[in-house]
Amino acid sequence: MNASVPLSLENVTKRYGQTLALKPTSLHVAPGEMLALLGPSGCGKTTTLRIIAGFSMPNTGSVLIGGVDVTELPPNRRGLGMVFQNYSLFPHMTVGQNVAYGLKTRGMPAAERTKKVRAMLDLVRLSNFEDRSIHQMSGGQQQRVALARSLVTDPKVLLLDEPLGALDRNLRESMQFELRAIQRRLGITSIIVTHDQEEALTMSDRIAVMAEGEIVQVGTPIDIYERPQSQFVSEFLGTANIFDGTLAGPAEAGMWNVRLTLPNAPVVKVAGPPSLRGSSAIRVAVRPERLAISPESTQLRANVRGIVFRGSYYAYELDLPGLEKPIYVYSGEKTVAANDGTIGLGWPDEYAIMLSDGGVR
Amino acid sequence: MTTIVTTPQVIERRQKGPGWGQVLLAAYVLLFFAFLLLPIAIVVLVSFSSSSFIVFPMPGFSTQWYYRIVEYRPFMQSLLVSVEIALLSALAGTVLGVPAAIWAVRANTNAAQVFTNVMLAPISVPAILLGFSLLYMLSALTLGVSFLSLLITHTVVAIPYISRTVLAVYRGIPADYEEAAAVLGASRAQIFFQITMPLIKPGIFAGALFSVLISLDNLPLSFFFGGASSSSLPVVMLSYMQNQFDPSIAAIATVQMLIAIVALGIVNAIYGVDKLTAA
Amino acid sequence: MSQPAALPIAEAGEATLRSRSGRPFQISSGLWALPALIFLMAFFIIPLAANIARSLPAEDMFRFYAVLFTDPYYLGVVWQTVKVSAITTVACLLIGYPVSYFMVRFAGRWNSLIVFLLIAPLLTSIIMRTFGWTVLFARKGLVNTMLLGADLIEKPENMVNTEMMVYVGLIHVLVPFMVLSITSVLQGVNPSLEESAQILGASKLRTFLTVTFPLSIDGIATGCILVFVLTNGSFLTMLLLGGGKVTTLSLLIYQQFTLTQNIGFAAAMGNVLLLFALIGMTIQLRFLRRKGVK
Repeated sequence: MNASVPLSLENVTKRYGQTLALKPTSLHVAPGEMLALLGPSGCGKTTTLRIIAGFSMPNTGSVLIGGVDVTELPPNRRGLGMVFQNYSLFPHMTVGQNVAYGLKTRGMPAAERTKKVRAMLDLVRLSNFEDRSIHQMSGGQQQRVALARSLVTDPKVLLLDEPLGALDRNLRESMQFELRAIQRRLGITSIIVTHDQEEALTMSDRIAVMAEGEIVQVGTPIDIYERPQSQFVSEFLGTANIFDGTLAGPAEAGMWNVRLTLPNAPVVKVAGPPSLRGSSAIRVAVRPERLAISPESTQLRANVRGIVFRGSYYAYELDLPGLEKPIYVYSGEKTVAANDGTIGLGWPDEYAIMLSDGGVR
Repeated sequence: MTTIVTTPQVIERRQKGPGWGQVLLAAYVLLFFAFLLLPIAIVVLVSFSSSSFIVFPMPGFSTQWYYRIVEYRPFMQSLLVSVEIALLSALAGTVLGVPAAIWAVRANTNAAQVFTNVMLAPISVPAILLGFSLLYMLSALTLGVSFLSLLITHTVVAIPYISRTVLAVYRGIPADYEEAAAVLGASRAQIFFQITMPLIKPGIFAGALFSVLISLDNLPLSFFFGGASSSSLPVVMLSYMQNQFDPSIAAIATVQMLIAIVALGIVNAIYGVDKLTAA
Repeated sequence: MSQPAALPIAEAGEATLRSRSGRPFQISSGLWALPALIFLMAFFIIPLAANIARSLPAEDMFRFYAVLFTDPYYLGVVWQTVKVSAITTVACLLIGYPVSYFMVRFAGRWNSLIVFLLIAPLLTSIIMRTFGWTVLFARKGLVNTMLLGADLIEKPENMVNTEMMVYVGLIHVLVPFMVLSITSVLQGVNPSLEESAQILGASKLRTFLTVTFPLSIDGIATGCILVFVLTNGSFLTMLLLGGGKVTTLSLLIYQQFTLTQNIGFAAAMGNVLLLFALIGMTIQLRFLRRKGVK
């Protein structure tokens, strides 16, 4: 097993004709870390992955694997492992031949090859499938074969391109855990490209959220979810209720008073950097599960538009006078509205998130 | 009759059978295939006639005409020429056409698009014009009426037939397979021989067999090059027919058809005849 | 709602960095096409170009073309070439379309057999098929014998060597191309479109005319162009079944070559055929481009 190595992108750009698919991007992935590139389609995450793999040459900047500049190396000399979106298992080879292919290109003797292939198939729990043909395998099994094929060569870095996108929901969830466990066990530096926020949250040590050809925020899953810096990030990962307001002055340590742009102009406390001043525009986000509702009267009163049972919780859709978009609340209990059909709405101060961009990133 | 049925009554509705329109259409299709196959069937029948003229009702059955074509040297010699030319031109067309098609599919440039059109164009140019033009060209190169000339001429037409199916098959194969092989450490040559070739093999086979079958029957190309060592079967058949009208033509035509059917059987086994509709 | 706005890119910073071509990874290079390109240049493009030169004699450049398009006899041949091709094309369409429709909508498990039966005649030699029609309709052929036997005619009629027979032979050779072209497009027409039209109250005929037929128009166009161009290039059917009653450009080229050896004139006629083929190819490319394939 190779020792874990770091991976870095330094000022990498990519243009297709006149369009800049990737704005100058720098990124550092620590040895053994699993980093997710998350974003909507066309955000540049696949371009980034293809540049790391060597399929696409960046127009500027460099790619470093283990501190070595590999920008000019063709993909077959970068020592990577990659799992493709549709696995791309060679249909004219058996499971065993697929897994052995990377060893064969390296000229490993047959006996040694067989041993390594067996060990790897054991690792992905496909011990007796060596001689099966690819189309005899189910989607989940093909996924494991693809993983075994990419890991058997002891790659320096593992690249995963939407690896679970083709699986159905239940299988996807269990594969997320399994893939993560194998990656941890091998301690291999990995990058996973996904548009699925849940997958990114479950599988990675850190997430880099991308939009329009650049990385907009990097951080741990908890960081990104609990402290999104922009409205885009807050809405792309999970659901966010957004309130506009203006700064009304400092409150206690590290907190600010914000006057929401709503009828009666309620004032709420939001954590924020000490550098704020004046009466700047502030945008505040609150996650649906952090909102509390009660029949009693509070500062904010909303009309109940609908309640949906979602298994482990109830989802409320509320109309807040003065807001165009509805407010969503996820709650474990069913709360009855008051006689006038309204419901009280509030949240603990620590769950209000100040978006640093005030709407714009 | 015994008792009346007492089980709860389940009324089964009569399922609607095929309508009149459908029955008429099926009858028409049968008629169509009768039209398509009748002249072929009659030739096969006549080839077994015991009479030396074409006459009905046939006086009896015999295989004499098959012995006659085996003894008639021009038939056998030209059949050999035809088969050799068909196989060699398909081989040459494969060697020239397959790498070119692979480049053209992935290159995705205007130059590649223009090249693809040029590569496919010989199918659409009237064969008689192509044969005529090539005769003068090859004569200028002192090749003239020769086996090599005939081979070059047939290769010009083999290239589009082979590259056409290879283009179609290769377009349907995502670049992912080749990229996956590259990440796994394969060089360009390894990728081509170990991944690309096995994946496009059905296309190569289908195209090459098409090319063989077209070549076997390509009179307009061949008759310009009909020399002593380079007369192909259709050329000899045509000149025979213009002098004699006996069942030996039927016999040699039947033999040629059998060769074609065997070839189609091979295509079917490797590629599946269904897929040919799409090509 | 403000979207994450596109920030001005660090153009200045980028300019200071080394710039690369940014070409993608590919297993093949233009070199792979070079042998085929050289071969086709030498034995396809140049011969056809030389043929154009051959048709334009130095002393009186357009002599052959002038004769071709002014002399009543040759003008008649050009006209007959177009006429024969047009009639054959329309006949193939009318005869072939129902077969395509049957294949796609009703054939089911018979489809493989039908495709086989369509392709099989393509693989017998054209000489064999032409010979077959002769055997059927010659003076001592099967049809005459049967009609005499049934006392429907008194003496054997000569039915080969007629214009009608040429059309029968051409349609027989070319209709499979039409059927295969239409079928491949018709297969892509979703039957649920027909069902929706019927749910919306359209009769079966109306559904066919307003939904199915327009959607298969690409296949019809491809098939028609193919059959038209192939008919232009045929001469064997006219030679063996026409008895000199149907003379087209291809047949005339054959005769010029074998009998009179008038090379320049044959070259000029070939180029007119080529022009027809080029027009056909251009229309076909248009259609393919419109469909957004290839």
